[in-house]
Amino acid sequence: MSAMLLIEQVLNGLQYGVMLFLMAAGLTLVFGVMGLINLAHGALFMVGAFACASVAAATGSFWLGLAASLAAAAAAGAIVELTVIRRLYARDHLDQVLATFALILVFSEGTRWLFGSFPLYLDIPPALAGPVTLPGGIDYPLYRLVLIGIGLAIAGGLFWLIGRTRLGIRIRAGEADREMIAALGVDISRLYTIVFALGAALAGLAGALVGALQSVQVGMGEPVLILAFVVIVIGGIGSIKGALVGAILVGLTDTLGRFLLPVLFGAFMPPSQATTVGAALASMLIYILMAGVLVVRPGGLFGRA
Amino acid sequence: MTEPVLEVRNLQLSFGALRATDGVSLTLCPGEIHALIGPNGAGKSTLIGLIAGTLKPDAGQVRLAGRDVTAADAAVRARAGLARSFQVSAVAADLTVLQNAVLAVQGARGQSFGFFRPALADAALRGAAEAHIARVGLSDRRTIPAGDLAHGERRRLELAMALALAPRAFVLDEPMAGMGPDGAREMTALLDDLRHEAPILLVEHDMDAVFALADRVSVLVSGRIIASGTVAEIRTDPEVRRAYLGEEMLE
Amino acid sequence: MRREAILNAAIAIALLAVPLAAQAMGEPFVITLATKVAILALAGVGLNIALGLGGMVSLGHAAFFGIGGYAMAVLAAPVQAYEPLMTWPVEVAGTKSMPIIWLAATLAGGLAALAIGALSLRTSGVYFIMITLAFGQMLYYFAISWPAYGGEDGLSIYVRNGFPGLNTLEPLQFFALCYGVLMVALLFSRVLARSRFGLALAGARQNPLRSAALGIRPYSVKLTAFVISGAITGLAGALFADLNRFVSPAMLSWQTSGEIMVFVILGGVARLFGPVAGAALFILLEHWLGGFSEYWKLFLGLALLGIVLFARGGLIGTIAGREVAHD
Repeated sequence: MSAMLLIEQVLNGLQYGVMLFLMAAGLTLVFGVMGLINLAHGALFMVGAFACASVAAATGSFWLGLAASLAAAAAAGAIVELTVIRRLYARDHLDQVLATFALILVFSEGTRWLFGSFPLYLDIPPALAGPVTLPGGIDYPLYRLVLIGIGLAIAGGLFWLIGRTRLGIRIRAGEADREMIAALGVDISRLYTIVFALGAALAGLAGALVGALQSVQVGMGEPVLILAFVVIVIGGIGSIKGALVGAILVGLTDTLGRFLLPVLFGAFMPPSQATTVGAALASMLIYILMAGVLVVRPGGLFGRA
Repeated sequence: MTEPVLEVRNLQLSFGALRATDGVSLTLCPGEIHALIGPNGAGKSTLIGLIAGTLKPDAGQVRLAGRDVTAADAAVRARAGLARSFQVSAVAADLTVLQNAVLAVQGARGQSFGFFRPALADAALRGAAEAHIARVGLSDRRTIPAGDLAHGERRRLELAMALALAPRAFVLDEPMAGMGPDGAREMTALLDDLRHEAPILLVEHDMDAVFALADRVSVLVSGRIIASGTVAEIRTDPEVRRAYLGEEMLE
Repeated sequence: MRREAILNAAIAIALLAVPLAAQAMGEPFVITLATKVAILALAGVGLNIALGLGGMVSLGHAAFFGIGGYAMAVLAAPVQAYEPLMTWPVEVAGTKSMPIIWLAATLAGGLAALAIGALSLRTSGVYFIMITLAFGQMLYYFAISWPAYGGEDGLSIYVRNGFPGLNTLEPLQFFALCYGVLMVALLFSRVLARSRFGLALAGARQNPLRSAALGIRPYSVKLTAFVISGAITGLAGALFADLNRFVSPAMLSWQTSGEIMVFVILGGVARLFGPVAGAALFILLEHWLGGFSEYWKLFLGLALLGIVLFARGGLIGTIAGREVAHD
């Protein structure tokens, strides 16, 4: 095993991690501010991917597609918040789970109806296609490198937004005490719609960006959603910093586990068996990581509890 | 002097930089009502949490009937006879008064893992529960869901549940809170009766009740006990007057 | 209360009468549908103990359902391959006997629930939901990547397992068996709710702090309930695998978890017959809407949204009123 291969896998893990962060950030914001568990967040990821793929196919421009993914996911998020989600804030988690599960069915089947059951394909934009040579002579796909950059830039932007802007102050105040900020004259329902649409836009963006690496199909969002839950449990709910650390931890653990475990088992097992056992264990690794965090810190690494 | 039933030795607990409980020691002896007073934010609720076992101290000891229970959790302390009531009434709202009392009796006896026989068909459990309900005067409200009780009735149900623990010591967190004058008077009489069952550590804001009931009073300010003595001693203690009684008592 | 009892009896009789009528009219497919209802209802009865009685919103019950299914496959597959189940340390043969398979599935479901519950119950609220969902997904991926029992493709058990004295290949007899198991589970669930444990569980659900102050550890009570819940759902998984004569990772998927929860909530949370009514309604919708449109789940989703937002209390709550039984 060469060091170059390892570095490549680390970068892959990082890229995976920052994309998970885009999902987890929206989820954790929505939970932190509104106290809502949103299973339909994965559907917004899918909406972004489909919007990007279909607009890119129609216009030939990936960038227009990307803009469309942001717009479509934010719009879908705002519409869903206005029609369904806001009726759920005062409800218990069970109602929230059920209603957002119902939303998954509506989104998935609606998308299947519109686009059919066959996957769409989204090409990497030509300007970003191909490899780039990193210092040390490693060839790495430029597009994945750009994803890491975009993800980190958005993380920075979110920290700035939450920490430094008026909207951020309101969001943090909303987490602390929603009656109080309502009493101070902040339009709380508009704030909620904005936060939800923001989270949706991030999910949609992630869907579009990842869509160029894999096929765009119905049901692509939910596995990512569940991983984002793992991220949040590890990082601590309501914490953007926790989401970032958790996401990168999960991305690296998963990618490196799939790469290293079969090699590791190969040291004392026949190769075919090592591949099987290694792959099976690697598929469980992030959940084992989550279990470990739960044992040590049930509230997550950056949680309040 | 008789052996204290409940003894707290040099308890300490900090939340970050805040020393919520700062070296508190106190005792509760048989037959007495020991009142714990102090301004808001003095750390009374934290101290109760430490005594009841929902909070773990950084240092110090909690002893119940001569036994060190510092490492035991709330459930173990409850079964050892530490009966606690809550500041905000804590009953299972969907269960009836009788079901709540039966729950308390089976909890105290450690009989909660029976899977087949209906709980209410167990004559021993039910009999004990009904006796405790009668003791607090709720017999005619037996079949009402606890959530539908009036405020004062709910506080009395809490006491019935505390009684079910066959307590060695009561730790009551503001039992008078939110009661009108009549309710407070009835509750005062009930507490005066309960002290024969087990001594009471009474955290209370209602000074009339404290002065009527307490054999001893301890004053908690900023996590420390600044004075401890009889009602008369506390009334004249200069430090207490400075720290606390100034606003609340001298007017 | 009385209305709910009458409604429950009506549901129980209807579920028995439909396949009998179908037998008389020579509609074996309807018997299979009714069997499916009984088995899925059983999975829901399991979940309802955690969800309804214990207030634990588990979105990972597919794990127990799937483990029950795979327990069946692990025991039955060696028989059809003419191989022993294991050779070391002692040689153990597989089995096609339902009672043994049921026992194994119940134990496996319960043990999995013990492990997952012990970790998940260290937290509560949304954490609990996310963690149970995540552990379910973990087993799903494990089943996909572990090739011994078919991996992603699943595994067929060609001949339905046997039960002493019955011909389980006969649809009506297999239905009767599933119906019987369901009724026993419902009876157990009712007895449990009224027992001392049921009371302790209600206390732990409604006021955990108070329960601890009464000497009842909420964690132990909830974990016990979760194990019972997982065991029953595991048993349902074994029956489901036997109905289809097939197991696959789909049994472990998050959709399955969501659907089991939908049965419970469609029917009415914490209602004894809620899961039965819910599963029946779900299967009917699947059958009717599925015949009418390929995208029937879109309408299911809309219906579900309507129920959550406007008709709380589920089917049984809507018909029998919101009052919950008080003794």
